[in-house]
Amino acid sequence: MTKNNVGGIPSGYEMRVALKKTPTYIQGLDNVLEGGLPTRRTTLIIGDPGSGKTVMSIEFLYRGALHGEPGIFLGFEESAATLRENALTLGWDLAALERDNRLFIMEGRLSPEAVISGKFSLKPMLAVISGKAKEMGARRIVLDALDVLLQLLFDDPAQVRAELHLLNHWLAESGLTAIMTLRPQQGASEATFQHFFHSIADCVIILDTRVLNQVSIRRLRVIKYRGSSFGRNEYPYVITETGIRTIPITVFELKHQPFGEEISSGIPRLDALLNGGYYRASCVLLAGEPGTGKTLLASTFVRQVCSQGEKVLYLSMEESPEALVRNVTSAGIDLEPFRKAGTLHFFGAMPEATGAEEHLLRLMSEVERIQPQHVVVDAISACERMGGKQAAFEFLMRLLNFLKERGITTIFTNQTSGSKAQLEISGNGISSMLDTVILISYVQGEGETNRVIQVLKSRGAGHSNQVREFIIRDDGLHIQDAYIGPSGVLTGTARRVQEARDAFEARRREAEIQAKFREIARLRAALETGTARFSTRLEAAEAELAELERERDIERAEREVRARARGEEVGDGAPPSQQESQSEVRR
Amino acid sequence: MTTQRDKETVAPARYHLRLFVADDEPNSRQAKETLKRLCETCLKGNYTLEVVDVLEDYQAALENKILVAPTLIVLAPPPPITIIGSLSDTHKVLEALGLPASEKNL
Repeated sequence: MTKNNVGGIPSGYEMRVALKKTPTYIQGLDNVLEGGLPTRRTTLIIGDPGSGKTVMSIEFLYRGALHGEPGIFLGFEESAATLRENALTLGWDLAALERDNRLFIMEGRLSPEAVISGKFSLKPMLAVISGKAKEMGARRIVLDALDVLLQLLFDDPAQVRAELHLLNHWLAESGLTAIMTLRPQQGASEATFQHFFHSIADCVIILDTRVLNQVSIRRLRVIKYRGSSFGRNEYPYVITETGIRTIPITVFELKHQPFGEEISSGIPRLDALLNGGYYRASCVLLAGEPGTGKTLLASTFVRQVCSQGEKVLYLSMEESPEALVRNVTSAGIDLEPFRKAGTLHFFGAMPEATGAEEHLLRLMSEVERIQPQHVVVDAISACERMGGKQAAFEFLMRLLNFLKERGITTIFTNQTSGSKAQLEISGNGISSMLDTVILISYVQGEGETNRVIQVLKSRGAGHSNQVREFIIRDDGLHIQDAYIGPSGVLTGTARRVQEARDAFEARRREAEIQAKFREIARLRAALETGTARFSTRLEAAEAELAELERERDIERAEREVRARARGEEVGDGAPPSQQESQSEVRR
Repeated sequence: MTTQRDKETVAPARYHLRLFVADDEPNSRQAKETLKRLCETCLKGNYTLEVVDVLEDYQAALENKILVAPTLIVLAPPPPITIIGSLSDTHKVLEALGLPASEKNL
């Protein structure tokens, strides 16, 4: 037919038709399924009791009905009344849809007193749903827990097979997009029809509920999808107040927003260390031992941005919002006005209350509702209590990804412990996702404990990696130049002692220089009177003066180099000099 | 109230049977034949039998919550009884109907 005859294959025999898909309209699930369930075909959902397969299939019908695709629910386990009640808890008014003829619920339950005598077939069931489907123009159908009926009725494998063939044929003819739900195979007796179900389904979804570290975790996995690609990972899902929600695959797609402009951390000297401040849409980790002031540092930032009218969502996992607001007032930080004004929202959550997924999805819903520019998670170390290290890691990765996609600045605090701080800094292995890392630690000395702060990482900007003293006062947080002497960083009293010692040393040397000047002046005067023997002493004194001045200049130069390296303003620095008088004398 | 109900039960029991079939498929045909024979031998003159083809009238199946065929519903005497299958096990059927099984019946 055409001249495009590639590779010797006769043209006219190749045609590619994309598989038609029917969206489930369930949050995230269509992403995993790359569009939805196969249209006019059968999908199998396999899951233990309580895994949410009924909820998922009802949601498929409910959302379909809302999108103009009427559906039929044929349930073999629950009564229609129970089903309607359960759906109402998720905000779905099934009865209203039934009244509008957009949904039909049929109870496929037999009276337990029914007497069985001889063979039978499922033809009436199919006749009923055929009739109903035609009457209401149904596009979707769910057969919920068909295995319950099969087990109850048929003890002859051959008969089960025959009925399933009948069913399969009927489904193919009906043109409905179908979901059948099943429990996982219980024993060898079910092998026959389980196998058959698998063979007639074009798509198979496994729902798995497991308990890990006392926290239940739900996972969804697509194991088969004829004629389509699909996300092959295990995806967490939860049953929220509004239905099923799965977390889509985009985690590693990195569709992150680029960093925005710099925003002040709320402490000018910290901004200087960061070469300007935090970046919008970046992720900042504030790490430190308990009590070092991570929450205060985060709150200082919150105050800074909230006072500019920007919105913050604060996830507090270690203390209640009330306690947090009260506690930070000790450092002169008053968050209450922002809370009242609606710029600061708290999300209080006990990490162990639910699984990580549920926390994540709730948090995501909150972010979507509040639309904050910044999110604080205090502290990510508490996330492990949601179900272990892996759960915490996934929670944080997914959360961070979600926030970065929306260009939201994220502040994490992380509690580290003692000497292992450096190892733990990366925080649950998410280090590659962090843009800025600030470490606050304790230093011991001179009978007191002080805090020091250090920027360990700052992506996209130069930064100082000098250690500074971090001081919490009742008027806020302050950063002081830490004294860096030969024995390391000195803070607090030790810093002040060392500074005093240095000043004393500088004064002593200056006094010595002045003394030499005076001696030289005397010698000059003596020389002028004609006493030649003073000339050698004058030369010696001048040499000594030159040496003293050289020492002083070296010391001053070193000080300036250190100061510049720390980013301080270099000026007439520490030793109170007498340059003016000095030069006068010299002249 | 009590006296009224007593009067009703005093009246001779009348069997009201409704058999749901799926066209003329073998199980349904067998059930129809077996039931007719049992009625004639055990309930002669004391029964009403309706046969409903669900493939013709799905609404009837829906109203009576019929999933499988054949299904026999004994509407009277109360309480209603459901018997599913081709009725090949007549012992079970007679037992369910509260009738004694004898050589004559089988």
